[in-house]
Amino acid sequence: MIYSTITRNRVLYFGVALLSLLLVMVGSGGGLFGYEGFWIGDWQHKMFRTLCHQDPSRSFWINGKPMAVCARCYGIYAGFSLFWLSIPLLGKINSDFFRYTKKMLLVAILLNIVDVVGNLLGFWQNSSISRSILGAIIGSTAVLTLAREFLKSKTN
Amino acid sequence: MDSTDEFDQEVQPEKESPSYWTSVGIASLLFGIIAFVISIITVYATINAEPTGSFFSPTQLIGVLGCLVGAFGGMVATWHYAKEYDVVIKLGKGALIGFLTGVGITVISTLLNQVWLLFDPDMTQKMIESTVANFEAMDMPDEQKQQMIDATVESMRGQNNIGTQLLWGIPMYGILNLLTGMIGAKVFGKEESEFG
Repeated sequence: MIYSTITRNRVLYFGVALLSLLLVMVGSGGGLFGYEGFWIGDWQHKMFRTLCHQDPSRSFWINGKPMAVCARCYGIYAGFSLFWLSIPLLGKINSDFFRYTKKMLLVAILLNIVDVVGNLLGFWQNSSISRSILGAIIGSTAVLTLAREFLKSKTN
Repeated sequence: MDSTDEFDQEVQPEKESPSYWTSVGIASLLFGIIAFVISIITVYATINAEPTGSFFSPTQLIGVLGCLVGAFGGMVATWHYAKEYDVVIKLGKGALIGFLTGVGITVISTLLNQVWLLFDPDMTQKMIESTVANFEAMDMPDEQKQQMIDATVESMRGQNNIGTQLLWGIPMYGILNLLTGMIGAKVFGKEESEFG
């Protein structure tokens, strides 16, 4: 079903699907893979070291180990991956919807910036759940921006 | 088999399109230098900071933001390519430009880091000492503290190895820039006529 719905850029679609799932798995950290040592030393943390602050108090935990990325980053990767795999279902959405996806992505990024700044200045206290949801909005809107490139034209 | 769209795309000969290497080179150089400079600032800020006993510091956040900026090199490369040549950028080409930019950023920041170590060969050791001092100030059981210090020291020693930097950097920056390169192609590339 997926193969027949994705009518364009198939290699890219399946390649990115694989890579995004890989990011989610690696981002889940050593706990998912039964790592025994101290979490700082696991290879998953090393891979994301330059890309995320990896503060354990701002991350989800699996099997007593913090994930290799913070809750917001995990939301971005998970949201991206989930929506990427859902692209075949997006073909049923009215094509007018896709006109606004770039603006939606911009709004999602701004929302996250406002959340970070507001939390930093003490206007509100965000949580791992709220951060991951806001991150997932970035990931999902990024996919919506690209989705039409993989779907069959309704005009043909 | 209903796949005329796909075959239309694949069989038609590619139109002559301008080279993307200039855009890849410029974005790699720019973001490689930014990632390197911010990481160096973070390292020296950490070395000179008083131990706080906290895992996370604002300095660390600056360093991560700097490195995170490197993930947008792909988007900037496709923006530059689109602006220079005013062309339609297919998603696959955007992904390729992004991936190559990610590789370029990693190579350039790694090389600059290695050159910097010639000027300050003790940088890693000073960073390790500062981090250990910070961990020593943490309020936690000694055994756990020692385990954490050992893991961190081992991890930090490995970080300045050129092979390790390329091994971790190329896939991560490559993949993330591939994604931002695709988004850049979609956002900045000239629109194709409806569904090409």
